[in-house]
Amino acid sequence: MILDSTFVWLHDTSFGTLIRESTWAEPIIETIHVLTLTVFLGFVILLDLRLLDLTLRRTPVSTVFRQLNPWLFGAFAIMLVTGLSLFAGDPVLFYGTIFFKLKMIMLLAAALNVVVFNLTLGRRLVQWDGRPVTPAGAKVTGILSLVLWISVVACGRGIAYVLPPP
Amino acid sequence: MHELATWTLEFCRWCNESFFGHTIRDSAWLFPFIEVFHLLALGLLGGILVMLNLSLLGFRFGHATTGELARELRPWMLGCILIMLLSGFLLFSTEAVKLYGNWAFQLKMIFLLLALLYTATLHRRVLEAPQAGAALRALTAGVSLLLWLGVGLGGRAIGYVTTAASAVAGS
Repeated sequence: MILDSTFVWLHDTSFGTLIRESTWAEPIIETIHVLTLTVFLGFVILLDLRLLDLTLRRTPVSTVFRQLNPWLFGAFAIMLVTGLSLFAGDPVLFYGTIFFKLKMIMLLAAALNVVVFNLTLGRRLVQWDGRPVTPAGAKVTGILSLVLWISVVACGRGIAYVLPPP
Repeated sequence: MHELATWTLEFCRWCNESFFGHTIRDSAWLFPFIEVFHLLALGLLGGILVMLNLSLLGFRFGHATTGELARELRPWMLGCILIMLLSGFLLFSTEAVKLYGNWAFQLKMIFLLLALLYTATLHRRVLEAPQAGAALRALTAGVSLLLWLGVGLGGRAIGYVTTAASAVAGS
């Protein structure tokens, strides 16, 4: 299967070998991964809470989006690069765990949630931006996002838990 | 100083033998389950602190002043700190005596104490002082970020530090 050969190739690249064999690479990259979570997950939760009218109610949704988006995208890029680097250390081992597969499915679902929002309610943002209460659809998006990202974190923890310590 | 050390070790022994310590240790899934709450609260707490400190550094979040932002986010911040302390204590109780001798854990606790004190006093005062100058605001934000970064790095290091503390535990 194409996936298997890609994993073997990634495993054997000098980068994959470096991650696997260096004493410091894994702890340093994982620390960056976890600390960036404070910006990424923190801002995602804040956005969701805003969509749910639970905080920052006096700031319009569009303003919260505009202010947090650059940080969110930057942090996500770091999460992606560090996450893929950790994965490169032993792709076959990671992929063999149920939690890794679940995490990827939840990640895709979370991305889909963002896309659906942007294509529907997000397009009509100007119509409901200034209202005192966000529409029901925005609240559904917020709850879905919270549930999905919490699942991503839980699965991530699960991966570390079922894998033998390095 | 010696008495404090004895008392602390006594407390760690008590945690180890407590109902929480036993129950979580004996369960296959309770530890990771509690850890997820610890991580989620970390995410939101970190996000709030980054946002407040960015605001101190001059980034605008809508029309809200730094003080308004701080007041609005405070209940969430306190909730996160509470969840982190509770879940952290539960995780700690599973291997309290081992952690007693772990320098990374000691470092984390010192940073945590400083960060909490700082957040409740100086940080809060400057967040709510509209007349504070740019330099003071920047300094306040920098110290806050450094203190909490110390807590985070100490926490990350705990798992990588192996100690001879198990010997202490046996004595």
